[in-house]
Amino acid sequence: MTYFIKTQWSIDLHDIHTIIIAGKAGEGVKKAAQVISGILMSYGRHVFQNDDYQSLIKGGHNYSTVSTSEAEVFSTSEQADLIICFDKRSVEERRVDLKCGGTFFYNSDDGDGSMGIGLPMTSLMKKAYNTNGNLCSVPIGIFCALYGHSKQELANIITGEFRKDRDENLALAGMIYDCVEERLAPFARKHIPVAEHLFSGNQLISLGAWTAGLDFYFGYPMTPASSILHYLALQKDRLGVQAIHAESELAAINMAIGASFAGARAAVGSSGGGFALMQEAFSMAGMVEAPLLCILSSRPGPATGVSTYTAQEDLFFALHQGHGEFARVVASPDSHERAYSLAAELLSLAWELQTPVVLLTEKHLSESSTCLKLQPEQVPHADVKIGLENDDYERYEITDDGISPLLFPPSDSVIKWNSHEHLPSGLRTDKSQPITDMKAKRASKIITAKQAVKKYQQIAEYGEGENIVFAYGSTVLELREAARHTSKPLHIIAPIYLEPFPLEELAIYAGRVIVVVDHSCTGLFASFLKEKLQTKILKNILRYDGRPFDPHSLATLLEEAFDA
Amino acid sequence: MRSLNTPKENTWCPGCGNFGILNAIKKCIQNLVEGGIPLSELVMVCGIGCHGKIFDYLSLSGVYSLHGRALATAQGIKLANPDLKVIVFGGDGDSLGEGLEHTLFAAKRNMDLTLILHNNGTYGLTTGQFSPLSYTGYKGLSTPQGSIERPFHPIPLLLEAGATFLARTYSTKLEHMVQTLHKAIDHKGFSFVEILQPCVSYNNTYQLFNEKVKLLDVIPRDDATVMALARNQEHYYIGIYKEQLIPVYHELLYQTQNPIRERLSGLQRKQKIRELY
Ligand SMILES: Cc1ncc(C[n+]2csc(CCOP(=O)(O)OP(=O)(O)O)c2C)c(N)n1
Ligand code: SF4
Repeated sequence: MTYFIKTQWSIDLHDIHTIIIAGKAGEGVKKAAQVISGILMSYGRHVFQNDDYQSLIKGGHNYSTVSTSEAEVFSTSEQADLIICFDKRSVEERRVDLKCGGTFFYNSDDGDGSMGIGLPMTSLMKKAYNTNGNLCSVPIGIFCALYGHSKQELANIITGEFRKDRDENLALAGMIYDCVEERLAPFARKHIPVAEHLFSGNQLISLGAWTAGLDFYFGYPMTPASSILHYLALQKDRLGVQAIHAESELAAINMAIGASFAGARAAVGSSGGGFALMQEAFSMAGMVEAPLLCILSSRPGPATGVSTYTAQEDLFFALHQGHGEFARVVASPDSHERAYSLAAELLSLAWELQTPVVLLTEKHLSESSTCLKLQPEQVPHADVKIGLENDDYERYEITDDGISPLLFPPSDSVIKWNSHEHLPSGLRTDKSQPITDMKAKRASKIITAKQAVKKYQQIAEYGEGENIVFAYGSTVLELREAARHTSKPLHIIAPIYLEPFPLEELAIYAGRVIVVVDHSCTGLFASFLKEKLQTKILKNILRYDGRPFDPHSLATLLEEAFDA
Repeated sequence: MRSLNTPKENTWCPGCGNFGILNAIKKCIQNLVEGGIPLSELVMVCGIGCHGKIFDYLSLSGVYSLHGRALATAQGIKLANPDLKVIVFGGDGDSLGEGLEHTLFAAKRNMDLTLILHNNGTYGLTTGQFSPLSYTGYKGLSTPQGSIERPFHPIPLLLEAGATFLARTYSTKLEHMVQTLHKAIDHKGFSFVEILQPCVSYNNTYQLFNEKVKLLDVIPRDDATVMALARNQEHYYIGIYKEQLIPVYHELLYQTQNPIRERLSGLQRKQKIRELY
C-alpha cells in the first residue's frame, strides 16, 4: 500500500515550518516530536518544541508542536504544515490547526477519513509488536519519507533513539515509510547543526544552577517544576548532584536550609501550591541568612488550578514570598538561554547575599524545548564572604554591607543560625537595641543586593522604536516570535530582574505609554509597572487560558493596539 | 575541652525538667569528646518551644529551626556532610504535632541522627495547651472541658515508622540520661530518645513518674514486647527498647562519599559542561 500526497507546501515568508503530532497520553507523542526536532536540528535548522498535555497518564488528548526555521525560533505557531494524528479525537481537535496547503495524516484504524491521508497505524503497530505497542515511530517514519531521508537513514535514526523495543520500532517505522511514496524534501541540509542538544527550560535551569555549584536539589513533585527533580535525579552519577524527593515541600525547603548550613549549595523548586507551603521556611532563610535558590514554575491557579498549563499569576506571590522584611532577589528568564545563565547568576547571588532568591518562570518555558549550545564561560564565580575560624567568630557580625562572614561545620568556632531574632553570636534576643541593630544589618542587604545585581544583565531589549511592549518571562518568547509577523516594528522591553527592580535603567520609560502582554487575568504585570514606573497602559494584552499566544494572533492584537 | 556554657540567661521555670536534660547533654558531650569524637563534629538542631531554648544554653554549632521543622533541617545537614553528628531537640508539640511528617520520615529513612524528645505532655511555651501526647481529659486553654483525643504512644509510633534505636529516660535520672543519650548518639541510624520531662507549670508529673518509673533491665526481644512495654501505664519503663543495625540513608544514597568535601570546583563543572554539551 502506498499513499500519495497531492499538496505542495508553501514556503512561509519567514521560513517557519510547523509540525504537530497528536494522540493519547502514553502513545509516544512527545518522544516522536523530540526525535523529529533532533532530525531538523541536524539539518542546521533551529527548532522550538511545545508539549501540550493533560493531567492524566493514559488516554486524553496530547499534542506536541515543533516549529522550525533557519533562523532562531522563539515559540511555536498554531498553524501547522504537517499534522499527524493517532486517533479520531486528535483529528477533531487538531484539524483547525492545518495551514492552507498543509498535509494531514490520520490513523485509518481510528479516524473518520474526512480529511487527509489515512494510514493503518494501529494495525501496522500491532504487526510490528505482535501485540499492543507504541505509535511513537509512526511520525518518524512519515517524517523521514516526506522530508527525503533514505530508509537506511531512518533505520539509523531509530537505532540511535530507541533502546527499548528497538526492533519493533524499526519494523513499524519501516512499514510506515513504505506507505508514503511522496518525497517533498523541503529543506536544505547543511549538516552543520546550530546546536546538538535540545533542552527544555527546566533542564537549562538545572544545568545553570549545577554549573554555578549546585550540590543538592530538594523537591516534591508538582508540575511544571517536577521535571527539574526528575532531570537532576537522572544526572546523579554523571554530574555528582543529589536530587532528593522529600515528604513534602515543607521538608524540601527546610532540608535545603540545613544543607546550606553545612555548606552545600542547595535549591528547591515547585509550582504555586508547593511554593505556598514553603513560605515559612523561605522567611526563615531570610532570617538565618541562608543562601537558597528557589525555583517557582507557574501554572494557572488559584489552588490546584490547571496542572499542566502556563500562567503568570504568581508575580506578586513571588515578589512577596515569606513573612517579615528581608532582602531577596526575584528574576525571571526571558529565554531558554537565559534560563541557563540566570539560574547560575541567582545561585551565585544567593551565596553572595546569603539570602533566598527566586527564579520565577512558567510552564511555557519550563517544559518547552529548543536547541542551543551552553555557554558555561558566562557562569559567574560567586564571591562568598568566608569568616576566620577563631573564638571571636560571630555568625551575624554587623557589617556595612550587611553580609556577615560564613563558616561551616565542622569548625572550632561556634556557628549558630537562629530563626529567632538574634545577637551577632546567633543567640536569641528580644532586647530593643540588638533587634534594631540586627534588623538594620539585614536591611542593608537590600542595598547590597541592588548593587550586586548590577553586574548582570537586568533588562533584555529586542527591537527598537516607539511601539513599546513590556513583558517578562516566557511571554517575551511569544512576543519575539510575534514580532516577525507585525508590520510595525516592536520594541520589546523585558525586565529580567524584578526585585531589585532596575528602576534607574528603566527610568527613560517612566510615564511612557506602553502595551503590556501578560498571562494573567487581571493584568498583574501592568499593575506592577504602573507602580514602579508610572507607565500609562495603552493596552493590556492578556491570555489566561493556560496556553501560550499563537504568534500570528498576538501580532494582530499588537497591531490593533498600536493602531488604536 | 572548652566550656559548653553560653552567656544567655536561663528562662526555664525553676524546677523544669529541661534543666536535667541540659545537664545530661553537657555531660554526655564531654564523654563523647573524651571518647574521641571531636566537639566540632557535633551539631545541634532545635525546634520551637521551651525545649528549643536549649539552643541558647549550649555552646554548640547548629540551627535554631522553625516550629516542627528541626528534623527536616537536621536531615539536610546530615545529607550535606555525613561526617557531622546531628542531635535534634524536639518537643511533643513540635516533633509529633506540627512536624510529625518529618519525624516519621526521618525514622523511615533510617537517617543517621538522634532525636531527643522533651516529652512534657503539653505545649509549654504557648501556655500549656494540650499536645499530641497529652492524656485524654487534659485541661488546657484550648481544651477547657478536657481533651477528647487519645494520645500517641511515641515509642510504638517511631518503631512502626522504622527507627532503629528507641529508648526512654527520665529527666531526674542524670546518669541514666547520660548513658542513654551516649548510646543513642553513637548508634548508626535513626535514634529516638523520649525523655519524660515534667513541666512544673502546666503538667507536673514528678510525683507520677517518681512513683511509676521503672528500669528496663534488658532490651525487649521482639517488637510486640516493645509495644506492650512502651504502652504500659502502670509502670513507665525507662531504658533501651530497640537497637538494630541496618543501612543508613546517606550511605544508600552516595555510599562513602562526602558531598561537601568532594564537591567539584567551578572550573571542573564548566569543563564537564563543555564535554557533555
Ligand atoms: C508555625 C508555628 N506555629 C505556632 C507557633 C507557636 N508555638 C511555639 S512553641 C509551640 C508549642 C510548643 O510545644 P512543644 O513543642 O511541646 O514544646 P514545649 O514548649 O512544650 O517544650 C507553639 C504552638 C510557632 N512558633 N510556629
Ligand atoms: S512552661 Fe513547663 S516546660 Fe516550659 S519552662 Fe516552664 S516548666 Fe519548663
